[in-house]
Amino acid sequence: MKRTSLLVRARFTVTALVGAWALFSHPAARAYESATTHAGLTERAVEASRLHNVLAQLGRPLGLLEPLRIGFDFFDQDERRALQARLDALDPAGGYRPGPDGVAGAAHWVVAGAVLAKTPPERGANHFLDPASGKGLHDGPGLSGIAHSLRLLFNGGASVRELAAGTAFTLEGKSALDWIWTPGNDLGVPVFLDNWEHAVSLAEPRARESALVRALLALGGVMAVLEDAGQPAFVRNDFRGAFLQQDDGSAYEQFVAAHYGRTGLPAAGASVSRPDIASFFASADGKGLANRTQRRFFSEGTIPADVSIERDTKVADVVRRARESLVFPSPTLSALVLRPAQTRHYLALEGHRVLAYENSGTQVRFLLDDAVYADMARTLLPEIASYAAGLLNHLLRAHLEMTIAGTSVNVRLGGEVKQGGALRVFVEDASGRRRELPGAVASLSPGGEITVNPPAGARKLAAVVRGRDVGGPFVAAGEVTLP
Amino acid sequence: MLETIGERCKAAHPLLEGERDVHSRDGHDTHPFIVQQLIPTISESVKSAPSAHLTMVAWFAALVSSCGPVVENAPFSARPDTLRPGDLLGPFDGVVVDGETDRPLAGAVVAGSWAFERGIGLQGPAAALEAATETGADGRYRLRIPADLPRGEGVRLRRFTLVVYRREYVAWRSDSSFPTGEPRNDFAQRGNRVRLEKWQSSMSHYRHLVFLGGGPAIRAAAAWEVQPAGLELDGASPATASEHPAEAAHGGSSAALDISPLLSEDEVRGVTGYAGKFEVGKLADRATSDVYDSRHFKASDKPETHDVGLRVWAIGSVAAEAQFRKLLGDLPSAVATEEMGDASLRARGGDVTGFAFLLRERGVVMQLSCGLAQCSEPSMILRLAKLAESHLPEVKLPSPESTGLVPLSSPSLAPGAKP
Repeated sequence: MKRTSLLVRARFTVTALVGAWALFSHPAARAYESATTHAGLTERAVEASRLHNVLAQLGRPLGLLEPLRIGFDFFDQDERRALQARLDALDPAGGYRPGPDGVAGAAHWVVAGAVLAKTPPERGANHFLDPASGKGLHDGPGLSGIAHSLRLLFNGGASVRELAAGTAFTLEGKSALDWIWTPGNDLGVPVFLDNWEHAVSLAEPRARESALVRALLALGGVMAVLEDAGQPAFVRNDFRGAFLQQDDGSAYEQFVAAHYGRTGLPAAGASVSRPDIASFFASADGKGLANRTQRRFFSEGTIPADVSIERDTKVADVVRRARESLVFPSPTLSALVLRPAQTRHYLALEGHRVLAYENSGTQVRFLLDDAVYADMARTLLPEIASYAAGLLNHLLRAHLEMTIAGTSVNVRLGGEVKQGGALRVFVEDASGRRRELPGAVASLSPGGEITVNPPAGARKLAAVVRGRDVGGPFVAAGEVTLP
Repeated sequence: MLETIGERCKAAHPLLEGERDVHSRDGHDTHPFIVQQLIPTISESVKSAPSAHLTMVAWFAALVSSCGPVVENAPFSARPDTLRPGDLLGPFDGVVVDGETDRPLAGAVVAGSWAFERGIGLQGPAAALEAATETGADGRYRLRIPADLPRGEGVRLRRFTLVVYRREYVAWRSDSSFPTGEPRNDFAQRGNRVRLEKWQSSMSHYRHLVFLGGGPAIRAAAAWEVQPAGLELDGASPATASEHPAEAAHGGSSAALDISPLLSEDEVRGVTGYAGKFEVGKLADRATSDVYDSRHFKASDKPETHDVGLRVWAIGSVAAEAQFRKLLGDLPSAVATEEMGDASLRARGGDVTGFAFLLRERGVVMQLSCGLAQCSEPSMILRLAKLAESHLPEVKLPSPESTGLVPLSSPSLAPGAKP
C-alpha cells in the first residue's frame, strides 16, 4: 500500500515537473508567422498565377476579387465546428479572414487556406520532407517525443485522449508529399479536386459557391506545404535544432516575419513549370524546391559542430572535422579563414552567405546570423512564390473551352493535359439550379471537341472533365451563358 | 475543486478582471504564482483518487486553460515621445490627420485587431479579436482593451495591428507602409499620429487592397476599390482603372449611368399619398459609375423613415445574377419572392422595407428601399418598383462589353445610408 502510494507520488511529481516545465519554458516565445509569411507568399503566388483568369471563365467575373460565401450548412456538424473555430482564429488584420457573413474574396480564401494549413500549428509537423529519402519529420528513439506531446497538452496542442491513443504530436509527422494526398487532410489535393468539380456539378448555386470556397482553401493548404519546402529546417528534418532550441520557433522564420511581414515580401518570379505535383517538391533531377533548399542552405540544427582547436591545429583539420559532423552532404565546407581570431567570417556559396563562423582561439564556432538569414531570405522567398504559383497553375492546367455555335455549344478540352477523361455536361435553369444532361457523358481527349445541344429554357451550360495524365489527376471545368 | 482552481487562476491574472494597470507588464511572471498555488491543490485531489494518473494530467491542463493569455512585448512605444514599450493589449488612441495640411480627418475608419497564437516550436493562430471605430470631427480615435480575452492553453497575445482607411487617401497600417511594405516604426500606443497621404492616380488599387487587409469595417469602407482593382487585374493601368468606375462619376463622365428617368417625386407621391416635399439626390454609399447609379428621395424636414432610395446596377447578366444573390444573402431578413422580373426579393430592417428584382437578360438589378412612414403598405414598394421598371427603356444602359463588374459589399437597406 505504502509502495503504491510512493509510486503515485513519484508519478505525480514527474507530471507536476513536466507541467511546470511547460509553463515556464516558453517565455517570450515568438511564433512562426504563418499569419504573415505564408499569407504574403501565397498572395504573391496567387497574383503570379492564372487563377484570376480561370475564375473569370467560370462565371466569377471579378476573378481573384470575387466575393464568395462559405455555406457552413453543407458541412457536417463536427467539420463545421472545427473549421469555424479555425477561421475565427485568423487575424483580421491580414484581410483573409471571412466576415461574419462567411464572405471573403476568392484570393482571400486561398490565403486563408495557407494559414489554416498550420492552424492548429501541430499540423506543420506534416510539412517536413527530406527530398533524398522522401521521409517526413522523424525523431530518434527515446522519450523526447512523448515529453513534447506532454508539453503540448499543457499548451493546448494535444488532448488527453490523443495522448492516451498515441496520436499526439511526438516529433513525428507524415512527409509533405504524403500529407497533401492524405484523405484526413481537409486542405489536401483530393479535397481540391473533388470540390473544384462540385463547384460546377452541384445542383444548387449556394452549394456550388461553397464547394468553390472549399477548393480554394485546399489550394492554399497545398501551397503552404510547398512553401515550407523553401525553409531549410523543413527539408533537413530539423525540428529540434530549429524550433525547439529556445521554444522560440525558428530564428530564420522570425527574421523573415520581422523584416518582411505580410506586405513586404518580394514578388514572385516567373512561375515554375514542373512535370507533376511531386516534382515541385522533390525530384531526381534535383529541381524540386526541397532539393534546391536542402543542398544550398543550412538550418539551425544542421550546421557543423563546433571544432576545438589547439595551437598546432591546421585549418584543413578544422575543415575536415567540421565536414565530418555534417548530417547532409551539402552544403559543405572546402575552406575556412581562421585569421584573425575573434572575427566573424562567412562561408559563401553561389554568391550568398550560408554560414557564419568565428575562431575564438580555443574553438571554431559555427552559427547562422542575421546576415546569413538576410541572404537566405533574399534568395529563397521569390523562389518559393514562383514554385507556389507554378503548382497552382499545374493544378489548374486543364480547362474546357465552350463556344456557342448557333443553337449548339462546342466543348473542347484545352490546357496542358496529355490525356483526356470523362466529360459531364450540366444545364442551368433560370433559378440557377443545375442538372446533368442525360446522355451527354462522353470521353474527351486533349484538343478534342464535342457538340452539345442545350434543351430549351436553359440559361447556362456547364461542363466538367475529370481525368489523369502524367502530371497527375486534373479537373477541367467550363461554362457558358446561353443567348 | 475546479471552481477553486479557476478562482485561484483568476486571482493570478488580474488581467482577466480588466485590471491591466495592476498586472505586471511581463505576463510570464504569473506562472510561478499559478504553480505554487495550484500544485498543492492537485496533490490533494490525487491523494483522494490515486489511480487517476491521466485525470491528474487533465486537471493540470484544465487549470492552465482557465488562465488568461500571456502578453508578449510590444514592438511599438507607449507614446511617440518615449522609448518605453507599449502594451499590446491597449488601450490605443491617437489622431488621424491629412499628411499635407496636418488637419484632422473625420470619417476615417480605424480598426484594431489582436492576434493570439499558441504552440511550442511550431506556432500558429489561436484566436483573434477586432474593434473598429470612426474618427470624429477632431480626427481622434480610441480603442479600449478588449473584453473576453481568450483563455489559457498556452495562448499568447502576439500582435496588435491598427489599420486606418479613408477614401481618397493611402491606407495606413501600424506594421508596414504602402507601397513598399517596409516595416513601420512610428506607431505608438497612445497619442499616435496617423498622417494619411493623398491617393495618387498612378497607384494600384489591387496592390492597395492586398496591402490593406483588415476586417469587415475596413473591407466595407474600401469596397469601392474592388472594381478598379478588378480592371487592373484584367490588364488596365491603375490610372485608367481609377477613371473607370468611381472617380469618373465625380467628374460627370458622359458614360455614367443615369437613372433619373426611372422614378419621379410625383410618382412616389402618387403611390404613397405623401404630401410633403422631397430633396432629390444620390445615395451616398456608392459613387455613380457607368454601371451603377442611385436616387435618394429625401423627405424634407422628416426623419429617414419617410425616405425612398433606388439603386440600379447594369452589369451584364452573369454579374447581375451574382449581385442579386448577394443582395439576397446580405440584406436583412431577405426573402426570395416571384413578384417581378426573373427573380425578386423582399427585405426588412428596422423601419425600412426593401425590394429588389433581377432582369437577367438586360443584366440589371434594381433595389428599392422605403421607410415605413412612406411605404405604409407592402404593395406600395412593389408599385414603385413596377413604375421604375416601366421607365427602363428610357435609360441608356451600358454596352455588354463594359459590364461584368460586381460591387463587393451590398448597400445598407437604409434609404439614406452613409458610407
